[in-house]
Amino acid sequence: LRDISEGLRLPSRLAILGGLFVVELLLISLWLDAAMLHGRGVVAGMVSDWGAWLVRLGVAIVLGSLIFAESRASSDLRRISQGCTEYGVRWPLVAAHAAGMILFLWLSSILFREHGAIILANCLVFVWGASGVAALALAAIAILPVPVWMDIFRSTGDAWIYGIGGGIVAMTLGALAQRLWEPLSHWTLSLVAMMMRPFVAELMVDPSTMMIGTPKFHEWIAPQCSGYEGMGLILAFSSAWLWFFRRQWRFPQALLLIPAGVGIIFIANAVRIAALLLIGNAGAPGIAEGGFHSQAGWMAFNGVAIGICMLARKMPALVHQEGVVETVNPTVPYLLPFLAILGAAMLSRMMSADFEWLYGIRIVAAAGALWYFRRVYRGLDFRFDWLGVTAGAVVFAVWIALEPAGHAAAPVALMQAAPMARISWIILRIVGAVAMVPVAEELAFRGFLLRRLEASDFESVPWTTFAWAPFLISSAAFGIMHGERWLAGTIAGALFALVQIRPRGRIGDAIAAHAVANVLVAASVLIGGNWQLW
Amino acid sequence: MNNLMMKIAGTALVAIGMSSVCLAAAPEIDPASGANALALLTGALLIIRGRRRK
Repeated sequence: LRDISEGLRLPSRLAILGGLFVVELLLISLWLDAAMLHGRGVVAGMVSDWGAWLVRLGVAIVLGSLIFAESRASSDLRRISQGCTEYGVRWPLVAAHAAGMILFLWLSSILFREHGAIILANCLVFVWGASGVAALALAAIAILPVPVWMDIFRSTGDAWIYGIGGGIVAMTLGALAQRLWEPLSHWTLSLVAMMMRPFVAELMVDPSTMMIGTPKFHEWIAPQCSGYEGMGLILAFSSAWLWFFRRQWRFPQALLLIPAGVGIIFIANAVRIAALLLIGNAGAPGIAEGGFHSQAGWMAFNGVAIGICMLARKMPALVHQEGVVETVNPTVPYLLPFLAILGAAMLSRMMSADFEWLYGIRIVAAAGALWYFRRVYRGLDFRFDWLGVTAGAVVFAVWIALEPAGHAAAPVALMQAAPMARISWIILRIVGAVAMVPVAEELAFRGFLLRRLEASDFESVPWTTFAWAPFLISSAAFGIMHGERWLAGTIAGALFALVQIRPRGRIGDAIAAHAVANVLVAASVLIGGNWQLW
Repeated sequence: MNNLMMKIAGTALVAIGMSSVCLAAAPEIDPASGANALALLTGALLIIRGRRRK
């Protein structure tokens, strides 16, 4: 293990450390609620009032410091990054970090008990906080030795001071921005009313209660539904996009993209609410409050973000043009089938109430993309043998072993449907899971991502190339795509990658493994009645 | 002048990006759909950035 970790450069180590902290923070935040310490004395109460705020401040400071450090000392950081490869990860310290986290969790279970003594809670909070900080510090020096940290601090000079200052300013701006919720929601209400008037004769608008709709269907626009979150996401996205590709933009005019994006997403949020009300008024309240409500926000965000990037690149006033250059895009054939499935899934869920009847459009979208690029795929090796098939069976066994306890019956809507509709849906679901998804996902994760993480010219990377960072990151990305089954998904992604790389470097083996695993899952659903797997 | 403008623009971008980290969660965007939506966005951006000279 030590030999494996010795080759890691600084960005990989920081990514591993950041990923570890994010996962731990997410798991802890799912379990602990700082509000439980409210009214438990002065010190514990401060954790309740300021805990989440401090975590967000910490994240803002770290992000800001990294960005400032990268821009101010990039040559020094490259030198440090090269030097990192001489050090291995110190596994005893990783174990110490794990022990520290266990201590932190044990103390949390005492501190966050509902009926604990107030004095105990206020004394314990110091030990609790210290154990958490110590655990974080142990992980930090396990991944990067102390001399490297010292070198980073020396080389990046005052970037950390800028980061702290920037973090505090950012937190203050964030807090001040929350005061805009109330007026924003009134503007949203007015905009939604204006959009709906041409379509609805009996429009009811009550600014005092923020209710809007029709006698048949109406909704309350809460202050937090004012479009604030979408605006925040677009702020983060557009500023990061401009920063990372800053050399191609013409400043300061490129900064106009930020208010433009924020304005468009605010209008898009009003369109979302108006559409939701119109769908509900048209007699489909289940779709309005179900799939449409959960998907439309993301659709709007993705549409605005991608639209900004695509349109802005074509505007000479905003970007430095290279003149007429003939280009190719080898990424598209590998990613488009997978993206087509994702987009179609969002669309079909958006138009669904409690059951996704339109699953078939995922198949149509993926099949269309695969057909369009069929000539490109002729160059790939789709052959497979027993190794891929066996790996699929192993993945299925892992998937079942890691499946949380519980059993879901077949969806009521499906069972109550006419036999032809039910059988058609099941056939489409099997075709999607066994034929389309394995091909599209293996092209994206193993064909593209695994090799793209090795080199930007990913097509030049041999299919037999193995490197730890691309292997781990692409497997983890595949796992994250599977939501609460992230661990099983990560293991599955790792096994699919291994059968592709070794021994012959064939994407066909990964696709076969994926398809076999999905066939067995489908059999478990249809024969064993384990509908929670679908 | 151009260098100064780049620095001002860069600092503004960092400040804006950081302030958005501090925003509280609101329910207009469903976190349960986040992984798929962000994967779609990331993939689209990779395609946009994937073009290279022949």
